[in-house]
Amino acid sequence: MSTQTVSPTTEENRTQELSRLIGRLHATNNVAVTILWILMAIVALTFLGTIVLLLIQGLSYLFNPSFYSTDDALVNVSIAPELFNTFYILTLSEIILVPIALAAAIYLVEYARQGPLVTVVHFAAETLAGVPSIVLGLFGVIVFVIFLHMGLSRLSGALTLLCLNLPLALRLFEDALASVPRELREGGLALGGTKWHVIRTVVLPSALPGIVTGIILSAGKIIGEAAALIYTAGVSNPGNVFTLNPLISSDTLTIHLWYVKTQGAGSAGLSSAQASAISAGSATLLIIVLLLINILARSLGRYIQRRVTAA
Amino acid sequence: MQQRRIADQSARIVFSICAIFLILVIVGVFFFLGSNAFRLFFEHGGSDLKTFFTSTTWDPTGNNDPTGNGNPSFGAAGLIIGSIVITLLSVLITIPFAFAMALFLTELSPTWLARTLQPLLELFTGMPSVIVGFLGLTVLVPFLTKLVAPFTDNSPTAGFGWGAAIIVLVVMILPTVISVSVDALRAVPGSVREASLALGATKWQTMSQAIIPAAAPSLATAVVLGMARAIGETLAVSLVLFGSSIPKNLFTPLVFFQPNVNITQQIVQDFGETSGVSRDAYWTLAFLLLVISFLFICVSRYLASRSVYR
Repeated sequence: MSTQTVSPTTEENRTQELSRLIGRLHATNNVAVTILWILMAIVALTFLGTIVLLLIQGLSYLFNPSFYSTDDALVNVSIAPELFNTFYILTLSEIILVPIALAAAIYLVEYARQGPLVTVVHFAAETLAGVPSIVLGLFGVIVFVIFLHMGLSRLSGALTLLCLNLPLALRLFEDALASVPRELREGGLALGGTKWHVIRTVVLPSALPGIVTGIILSAGKIIGEAAALIYTAGVSNPGNVFTLNPLISSDTLTIHLWYVKTQGAGSAGLSSAQASAISAGSATLLIIVLLLINILARSLGRYIQRRVTAA
Repeated sequence: MQQRRIADQSARIVFSICAIFLILVIVGVFFFLGSNAFRLFFEHGGSDLKTFFTSTTWDPTGNNDPTGNGNPSFGAAGLIIGSIVITLLSVLITIPFAFAMALFLTELSPTWLARTLQPLLELFTGMPSVIVGFLGLTVLVPFLTKLVAPFTDNSPTAGFGWGAAIIVLVVMILPTVISVSVDALRAVPGSVREASLALGATKWQTMSQAIIPAAAPSLATAVVLGMARAIGETLAVSLVLFGSSIPKNLFTPLVFFQPNVNITQQIVQDFGETSGVSRDAYWTLAFLLLVISFLFICVSRYLASRSVYR
């Protein structure tokens, strides 16, 4: 008897309680989701704002022809030597980097058995990737500049960049090779090819899109690097900078940008307006180049992929 | 046939040498920096460990010796404090933004927005530190100078210092922390989400009670990698620090708004003008940074090994 009289009220209480709980949960959910949207918007706006600010600061300088002049009289306010050096050091260090990183990646993916050696190489790569670039720069000073008597030179700089970029390039190339399906390798081996023959004719062509993407991404890192180069490649240029001699000191765009903004503003014979023009122009140019590199890394990889799979 | 087998074998040997080369590089980094790092403590006119880690007077060339005798001083405590403070604070600020962005990208974002944000993120992961430093110097520092002018008696250098360095560092490490966190959250299998939602959990409950705990070790890895990046960040920080020694008023809020120092800024600013004993002091600093970043990597590896989903 008593249960019959009590049960409707407890039932009602329970329903009320539950709907309150649901209401609270939904309110919390809405608040949390809103906060996530807001934080996302702040981050995205920071990134976009950074790019817009960079473009505003320097875009006007980029259309000034004397900014790229190779004329001796204008060499102070032009970035032609720095552009040349950046491209030179980029090419030199990619020429050294790509074969070594690719060979190491081939060994790790194709030859090595899972074992202590692979673990150690991966640990070494991870550690090297975590070494700050300024520390690698000082390592370059000890080994390349002093120990191997290369002096402040493009070669020292390129070799330091090799140490800096090896881990990244290795990981990208490993991913590229690992994405090639096993069946392709097995098919090649079943046809009687040696391992090296199969790698050369089957695996590498299929991994080409990933390898190209890896090369382009490491190029972006080389172009943007400065801390490792300041004390290995130098901060100033000799008179005739437009040569292929790897043993002369030279500065890149990023180094020059840093140098005119700090120590070199007075010593380079620049007024502060000229220094601002150079640094703002270089910064804008750098961000445009990096944007292009990012787009290129995506589209070129996809383009080659289509060509390879269609062929 | 014989020839092909020889080619195969030699290819194998060349490849393995390249893989071992990588180990040699990192061993070489430790060996060459390590062998130079300790010279400071054993040679004439050098320093001892206690002074190095406790004194805040850093003047290896002796140019600023108050007695005028040019005696160098090797107290790196100020630089170390600078590095620790800006690293910790910038990581603390980064964490909520980075995790929110990662959660948004993996759990909430409409596809079109994720597709727009992803390239932006990749661009910023490779952002040269000198560009961020340049923007910090030309935009952030003047802005901060104006902002805190009422509290600093209109000091023209008020914008420089730890405050600017922390903001610049946040921009530098955000992309790294976000992309590692996104990988961590993507590694959590869909079945975890489905199980939680099927039990009637809201989206936020699923995120906070199921996904984040499942990805916790990998998220911690992201934070540690961010710290490793922050402590070694050089040019961006050095452009906005602008100091030569740590200020005296260390425990007032205004310490963030005056020229200051950290390890990397001192190396990049002064290493070029040194020789002999004073140069040895910079090897010691570099080795210290190397050891710290190595410890960070070890911690991140340990955390990664504890994660359930990879």
